[in-house]
Amino acid sequence: MSEEKPISRRGAFASLLLPGIAAAAGCASTGGGAADATARGSTAGDRAFGERPGSTIMEADGTRTFRNHELRDQDGRVLRYQDDLIRGQVFAATFMYVHCTGICSDMTGKMTQAYDLLQPVMGKPVRFYTFSLAEDSPADLKQYMQARGLYGRPGWYFLTAPREVIKDIRWGFGFWDPDEELDNNLNGHTGMARFGHHRLDKWSSCPALANPVLTARSVLALFPPDQRPVIAGLERTDSPAARKIPNYTPAPPSTQFGS
Amino acid sequence: MQGSALATGAFFINSKFSLRMLADEPSSPFTTPWLQPLQFARYATPLPPFAALDPLPDPAAHQRYDEFAPRYFYDMNVSEAHVCPHPQLAFSRMSTYGNSAPGVTFMHRYGTPVLCRINNHLPQVMQGFGSCDVITHVHNGHHASESDGFPEDRFSPGTFRDHHWPNILAGGDPLEAKGTMWYHDHCMDFTAQNTYRGLSGFFLLFDDLDSGNENDPNPDAFRLPSGVPDGKRVKHRYDIPLIFTDRRFDQAGNLMFDTMNMDGILGDKWLVNGLVQPYFEVERRKYRFRLLDGGPSRFYSLWLSNGMTFQHIANDGNMLPAPVTAQSVQLGVAERADIVVDFSQLPAGTTELYIVNRAEQIDGRGPTGNLLPMSQAPKLLKLVIRPATGAPDNSRVPSSLRPKPAMDIPVARTRDWHFDRTNGMWTVNGQLFDHNRSDAQCKQGTAEIWNFSTAGGWAHPVHIHCEEPIVLSYNEKPVNGTVLGGRKDVFTLYPGDTMSVYIKFRDWLGRYPMHCHNTVHEDHAMMVRWDIVP
Repeated sequence: MSEEKPISRRGAFASLLLPGIAAAAGCASTGGGAADATARGSTAGDRAFGERPGSTIMEADGTRTFRNHELRDQDGRVLRYQDDLIRGQVFAATFMYVHCTGICSDMTGKMTQAYDLLQPVMGKPVRFYTFSLAEDSPADLKQYMQARGLYGRPGWYFLTAPREVIKDIRWGFGFWDPDEELDNNLNGHTGMARFGHHRLDKWSSCPALANPVLTARSVLALFPPDQRPVIAGLERTDSPAARKIPNYTPAPPSTQFGS
Repeated sequence: MQGSALATGAFFINSKFSLRMLADEPSSPFTTPWLQPLQFARYATPLPPFAALDPLPDPAAHQRYDEFAPRYFYDMNVSEAHVCPHPQLAFSRMSTYGNSAPGVTFMHRYGTPVLCRINNHLPQVMQGFGSCDVITHVHNGHHASESDGFPEDRFSPGTFRDHHWPNILAGGDPLEAKGTMWYHDHCMDFTAQNTYRGLSGFFLLFDDLDSGNENDPNPDAFRLPSGVPDGKRVKHRYDIPLIFTDRRFDQAGNLMFDTMNMDGILGDKWLVNGLVQPYFEVERRKYRFRLLDGGPSRFYSLWLSNGMTFQHIANDGNMLPAPVTAQSVQLGVAERADIVVDFSQLPAGTTELYIVNRAEQIDGRGPTGNLLPMSQAPKLLKLVIRPATGAPDNSRVPSSLRPKPAMDIPVARTRDWHFDRTNGMWTVNGQLFDHNRSDAQCKQGTAEIWNFSTAGGWAHPVHIHCEEPIVLSYNEKPVNGTVLGGRKDVFTLYPGDTMSVYIKFRDWLGRYPMHCHNTVHEDHAMMVRWDIVP
């Protein structure tokens, strides 16, 4: 974590007093990528993140901010975690590494099937993120994708970063174990997928090895129903459908002191 | 004596966990305890006679609809409300049943079929935790699959679903009568978030024995303390439903939910019936309390702070064959206990008592197994002792209640269910949940033995829908004479535990889930679909 911290001690201190200046200072200390972030109104580095890996900050608009790590995708492009991968995105995130002999290959296979089901919305508005747990190089990731026919598919990012960064991301999604040995054990790494809708701060999770239909439906369930993409094959077909309320007008919330 | 099997040794003790994980999360704001009286939900009120639902229910959508034609119709909204659980906290946006959190109380008698239309009036865009898609499950309801609240039967704002609750005895057997049930949201991926956001309430059933009348002239009636409060109508009511939940609030006092938590969620505020640490005035007489662990992940060991004994009369809403004198009850998520406390036995000087939770739990995985000293146990509810008023207390606790139903259907087969976790994913018999795959096709009219086992460091309250099994053994020991010695619908398995149950399949066909009722585990697909087939 420490070597990856995108903000200087000075910046962190200043943030307590002068948030605006701190933002500038934080960005100045991290170079070009963060300068872009400023232009888009980035939050300044880790101004108030907790000690614990994966800590996030709840913003006044009800969204959450993650540490703005620097990651590389399969093409070696530098992407900032909060600015480029989280903010405003709807995504499914999984964890793997190229030389995994366990569940990774199956997971990628299932996620590929989920991708196919979600094809009409992939890239925009839905993305898939696959984080490397073992510091695979962008070239390794590109080769891995090519071998599976995934390279060039819109909206699927294979991402790599130093182990500590990935740990922070993984913990931020809740995939950690209090036992440090278990937590670091690559063989037992998580097979869960994290589904997120950043703007609504909507989060859910299911096994990435599950039936891809469930995975695809879990992604769609993040959208407000009236904005939910309608995709053939993912409708409810197996139970009596709910019926429309006649003359439906949404009711404003009531106020009550208990019942 | 009660729960001794559970309270000693069977709990998992894990010294590896520390509070370091929690240190990062700020505590909820301070709240002064015992500021507000205990509140009760209103009764659900059916449509008046001759009023009709529009559009009319579709009989073809339900099994045996004409046979159990509804006598009452409900038109209930699921909608959003600003709810304040304590004067020192903020109003939080919550989801409600019938504009009430906890939801309105359903009260029926066996043999009275009803139909409840549930209209989804939640906002389409819901910021933060919770989903605006909902589906309602009556916990331990013996209901047809289409009215049971299968997680994938979720429906969106602007639509409704009809739930046919025929309120029949399973197999027509009067020994199968249930009393204290509850209903809650069961939406795929969002059950924990939605129930936490307010979607749960009581669903009570009565019959000729457990008749809800302590002055019942019927000589067979139990005449337990009676009168369920209806909203503000609390006076001279002695049958008290209590839903225990724990919650966390941010520094501004808004309700918080840790959506990124995979183990289970603990709160640092203790709520009873939706309010933080309320008080309740009791008279010096007998009371029936219906205790419910409303989750999402908390285990309780409930005691009265003076250590007094009470009669434990029902487990998971099922009258025990005979009452058990106890000092405490253990509750896993969704478990219920009905107890009768006789406050007339208190010494004259006693003016207040507390219901306390002595189960130590430091993370969502399960209790540590340690019993907190009475003085350190969190106080959940203050009982203010008042002199007896009103009519004489004719209530009683009969020495025998409801015998165990006969295990009269021969066992067609035995199934093993092993709950485990690999690579952070919950598995049952090594498989992941798929609502399109049925992992057991149980033939209607047969019975089976199901053996549960579990591995890993988690406690799992396993819940079966539709049919209610009888516990045969727990960790290979017989359970007769203990509170497990009857019917149950939640089977709390601590790490390494095994349990065997006998289950019949009657009356209904279709798909049902079996799942862990630590709702955080449930939402991460710790679930199995099984079917009753012709």
